[in-house]
Amino acid sequence: MNLSDLAAKINARLIPPSIEGKTEVKTIHAADTMSSLIANASPDTLLVTSLNNSQLIRVAELMGAPGLCLVGGAQPSPELIARAREAGAAILISPRGLEETRSLLEACLSGASQVRA
Amino acid sequence: MITMSHLIAGGDFDTAGLATRRLKEHLARVGVGAAVMRRAMIASYEAEMNVVIHARTGTLWARLDNGKLDLEVADEGPGIPDVDLALREGWSTASEKAREMGFGAGMGLPNIRRNSDLFDIETRIGRGTRIRSTIMLGEHAESTAAAEWTTLAPETAVQRCRKCLRCIFACPTGALRVHVRGPEVIPALCVGCAACVGECGSRVYGIGGGDAFRAPAPGSVLVLPHGFLSGLPVGGPDRVLTALGSLGFAEVRVLEEWTAAVRAEAHASAAVGSMQLPVITPVCPAVVALVESRFPSLIPNIGPWLSPIEAAGEEFPLRHVYLLAACPSQYAVARGASLTERLAVLSPAGLSSAVLGVLAPPEAGAHRLALRAPRGTPETAPGELRVSGARHVMRVLAAAETGSLPGVSVLDLSLCDQGCSGSPLLTADPYLSAPRELTAGEASDAAAVRRTRPYAQRAGMRLDPDMGTAIRALGRIDALAHTLPGRDCGACGAPSCALFAEDVVTGRAGSSRCPFMEETR
Repeated sequence: MNLSDLAAKINARLIPPSIEGKTEVKTIHAADTMSSLIANASPDTLLVTSLNNSQLIRVAELMGAPGLCLVGGAQPSPELIARAREAGAAILISPRGLEETRSLLEACLSGASQVRA
Repeated sequence: MITMSHLIAGGDFDTAGLATRRLKEHLARVGVGAAVMRRAMIASYEAEMNVVIHARTGTLWARLDNGKLDLEVADEGPGIPDVDLALREGWSTASEKAREMGFGAGMGLPNIRRNSDLFDIETRIGRGTRIRSTIMLGEHAESTAAAEWTTLAPETAVQRCRKCLRCIFACPTGALRVHVRGPEVIPALCVGCAACVGECGSRVYGIGGGDAFRAPAPGSVLVLPHGFLSGLPVGGPDRVLTALGSLGFAEVRVLEEWTAAVRAEAHASAAVGSMQLPVITPVCPAVVALVESRFPSLIPNIGPWLSPIEAAGEEFPLRHVYLLAACPSQYAVARGASLTERLAVLSPAGLSSAVLGVLAPPEAGAHRLALRAPRGTPETAPGELRVSGARHVMRVLAAAETGSLPGVSVLDLSLCDQGCSGSPLLTADPYLSAPRELTAGEASDAAAVRRTRPYAQRAGMRLDPDMGTAIRALGRIDALAHTLPGRDCGACGAPSCALFAEDVVTGRAGSSRCPFMEETR
């Protein structure tokens, strides 16, 4: 599913990358440790996390992940946004917590006809 | 060859990851495959972050040469007091600052080891730590991974070797030798079929690798060959399915569902004439490896789909999936396909132990997990030649190579007798574990998955990197082979006189190992 469609379905704010990158997402991985995020990242995986620091972008960049989804309405720093743009990764900001965001995203990707966001 | 080095500043989380990013640029330039890139990035980033988190300074060196990537990260840090403890998942001494950033989960070293084909760590208290990780590339990766699984048991077990030589004759690719000191597996020739494991009565060949069995996450799917259900001597598939439910699996699917899907695609391709005939179904990764190494002219005949175990791993992107590898070759391709926390590759021994630990009495009547029935019929379709067993498969491939299979449009080959369910890792006798009850349950929706990576000829064992030297060596091998008796008796430890001649010319064996040559000397 396209990242913009996914963001719209879960009421998340989308900060797109400056360069049109790969925005198709097939799966997600939610975690609050870097090791879990990097071990499960892939070019099809949206990384969902309660962390909020610039190393998240490094992980997304190294693994070719299309983007990050920050949870709890966390505001990314200008530095994080700049690094994400440079790396060609999108940032989604979900108003909900980690588990709720994960459930909603999984429902969207599993093709549930109605997702209540 | 490429080499690079990069200084890493301890405690600097702003520039952390730059060394690994530089490595990625180098690897991308030489076009390493996605699976290798992924493993390299994880191993390198985790090693780099170890320096940033724990040390004053460090250096990452990388060297790409001879089909492998060597990474080395050395630091000037406090050293690790207990390496065994540090390699355990969840153990960490990271600072509070690092933990707040999401580091320090105790998964760094385990992640590096998991993504390395070879891993080594040296540490000195107060001086620093040096981590070495080797990742095999491309064509070498799967054969190395397969050989990694077909390991020799610990030295005490190797001493049990009776030199009966059955293993060297059972191996379809001549990858085994039996020396005075014990047997040897030649990784470049091993296709991971486990024939040696099945043949050895002394259990000299061990099985390494495979993820440790742990309680599955909620909603987990287990994919296994049906032979695991029928081959365990515990009273039939129903009891095993009940036990698997007790272990926490939400669903069990049989590998035969994806095998049927691949066969159906092969028949469709053969019918429309879109492929060279006969189409070889890639249902057995060991057969694919065999074609790539011994019958390269048949590579265009292999159907362009993932093997059933790889396809099963792709089927459930949002669930935790456990794949039971019935042989080293399945382990190798499943491991190459994906290494995430959602996907684990289990060994039959590990899962058998877990099942036996929760087996309920037959009369307990506990809930039994349902199976799905593979689509199509288990019988062969018109134009299909289905063959199992290494000896027969070798003959059929030789016939296919010379165009001597008229009327055959689809070749369905398995190196194990009776297919995956007959793997020696699952059963003592392939006929005892033949699939039963496959027609029960809901019809399968498993689909074949097209593969993106092309098949390629395997280098096997190169005589010499220089073509001229290799040709001269070949001449010496031929000349020596003509002086040998041609009995293929195995007394030298090689399965044939021709392979013994090769061993002598390449320095792997001395000519005195042949008793015939000694007698006539």
